[in-house]
Amino acid sequence: MKRILASVTDGKGFDIGLVLLPLAFLFVMSGLPLVYNVVMSFQEVDMFSLGTFARPFVGFKNYVDLFAQPETRPILVNTALFVSASIAGQFLIGFGLALFFWMNFPGASWMRGLFLVSWVMPGLVVGAVWNWILSGDFGVLNFFLREIGVIEGNIFWRSDPHYSLWAVIIANIWLGTSFNMILLSVGLSGIPKDLFEAAELDGANALQRFFTITLPMMRSTIGAIIALGLIFTLQQFDLFAGITSGGPNNSSNVTQYWAWDLSFRQYDFAKGATISVIMIVFVMLASIVYVRSTRHEVRG
Amino acid sequence: MGISRYAMLGAFALASLSLPVLSANAEDVTISVWSLDRDIQPAPNLINDFNKLNTGIKVEYRQIQFDDVVSEAMRAYSTGQAPDIIAVDNPEHALFSSRGAFLDLSDMIAKSTVVKPENYFPGPLASVTWDRKYYGIPKATNTIALYYNKDMFKAKGLDPDKPPQTWDELVEAARKLTDPAANVYGLAFSAKANEEGTFQFLPWAQMAGGGYDNINSDGAVKALDTWKTILDEKLASPDTLTRGQWDSTGTFNSGNAAMAISGPWELDRMIKEAKFDWGVALLPVPQASAERSSAMGDFNWAIFSSTKHPEEAFKVLEYFVSQDDRMFKDFGQLPARSDIAIPPTGEPLKDAALKVFLEQLKYAKPRGPHPEWPKISKAIQDAIQAALTGQMNSKDALDQAAEKIRSVLG
Repeated sequence: MKRILASVTDGKGFDIGLVLLPLAFLFVMSGLPLVYNVVMSFQEVDMFSLGTFARPFVGFKNYVDLFAQPETRPILVNTALFVSASIAGQFLIGFGLALFFWMNFPGASWMRGLFLVSWVMPGLVVGAVWNWILSGDFGVLNFFLREIGVIEGNIFWRSDPHYSLWAVIIANIWLGTSFNMILLSVGLSGIPKDLFEAAELDGANALQRFFTITLPMMRSTIGAIIALGLIFTLQQFDLFAGITSGGPNNSSNVTQYWAWDLSFRQYDFAKGATISVIMIVFVMLASIVYVRSTRHEVRG
Repeated sequence: MGISRYAMLGAFALASLSLPVLSANAEDVTISVWSLDRDIQPAPNLINDFNKLNTGIKVEYRQIQFDDVVSEAMRAYSTGQAPDIIAVDNPEHALFSSRGAFLDLSDMIAKSTVVKPENYFPGPLASVTWDRKYYGIPKATNTIALYYNKDMFKAKGLDPDKPPQTWDELVEAARKLTDPAANVYGLAFSAKANEEGTFQFLPWAQMAGGGYDNINSDGAVKALDTWKTILDEKLASPDTLTRGQWDSTGTFNSGNAAMAISGPWELDRMIKEAKFDWGVALLPVPQASAERSSAMGDFNWAIFSSTKHPEEAFKVLEYFVSQDDRMFKDFGQLPARSDIAIPPTGEPLKDAALKVFLEQLKYAKPRGPHPEWPKISKAIQDAIQAALTGQMNSKDALDQAAEKIRSVLG
């Protein structure tokens, strides 16, 4: 008994305790809901059986039904497009801004901080603001594009099925760029300055320095950012609720919004859970990339 | 950690102590009521007044958010924590009554001197009815009609005392009133992909002989074609597809739409914001002499079947019903009853509008009632959106909706 107690206060038991505590926390807060969600996707669930666990199992019926629905494929395609376009936009603009502020002109760090404002704003507020900007008849974006002569008539960003998904993507790029910029700035400042000095002495020009020093040194940061970006864009719900509500005719619907719509608008909890399970698979893949790239960081 | 744990234990101890104490010193029966009414709306005020009467029944109120009503109620009911009384949106009522979650009030209503079914408009009454029994009492009601800008009618050579009566006249008037140079659309309404879209479209289908159980009838197809004409010719903003009724009517108030289809909840804002002369007309019908119809909105009262005090809960509802004549004057809501004469408010535009809405209410039909209404509604929304975005023609879209609805109706 004494030995166990001693081990807990100072020894292996203490270490195990330290590990077990967060593990238990993770299991209760994340693990159980995850398992519950997966179980629900194999059951028949309705509003009245929500309070019990004893629900009839239906095997893969929910999955089969889901993929038989005509809107499933377009929504999956939309999700892929939303995620890849958002990440590409956020990353490229974020990287450009990070490089720009890296030049360290007077007031650079100060202005870089201001960019974070977009990241601090609640998603629903951002959605509401972009809702006005993208409004068809009186939106600022249409006014601006008309004035500089890019378009003739108004584009109905929210209501034209050709543009609705892009309306949300534009808003999401605006929202996520600053986060990308800050993380990439941190990565940039971690590159030893003498590497660049040496390269410059050897006669490498700016472009060569970028591709042979900056990019390779940033590899783990970039990997982490893209993985995080994938997770964040797959979580992006507020903008859809605020701008298009997935419409018109599902042209801007994505899996995360659809799962909510099925569960809490149509009370089809099993299908909502089924979509969530499909999304979990993708987020797991992203997590593996994230964990691997940050592990690389620690060793390097 | 330690301190907070003791604090928690203390709180539990206190809570378990104080509960019996509270119920011991008052012999009152406590009835809990959930609704979405805010402080300026009926429920909390009526409850305050009721508690002052000292009837031996104490009513506790809890406000819930619109989006949470069904999920909160379901969770509470399935875990045995349901309140005694709740207000639910009328298309959701059947979901509860069909599963026995609500108490059958038929016998109590039959004995009651206050609640009389014949006093109610048929639409709201149908929404609380399931299997020919009453599972609730209509709380208030509303419907939609056509608002129009009389000044713009005059400016475009239309008679401001003769608003459009038929769909053709409506489209024709919209064509005349639309003025892209001045940023004016002929009509504002909502075809949004949520319950609002269904709410606005069903009356059109019903007027033409369709309905949720007959959504691909020729009349309904014609209704959707008419909507499509309005959107294709840009007589209404393309944003109609993604905008709710409140925002759409906002463009009417600001003078950017000459007509708007919406309900009496717009009246107070319109009186404040609209800087022009306006009127309200009954919803146009497919052709002269066609059957009228309209949508029916708002909430119903119900008693959960799990209540321990059904008699007392019904007494509370009887009190609410006895105060129905205050609904419009004090809270701006329409009682769901045809036997109450609403006194004039002294605001001529509002009084004129009220008259039209009361007339329109006679034709209001409930959505459903059906326990799986959200799925039926979703099928209709999908059809509207598919047709209006040009991805399907009206007939095919409604055929598909009918197919989906048939599988729900079984």
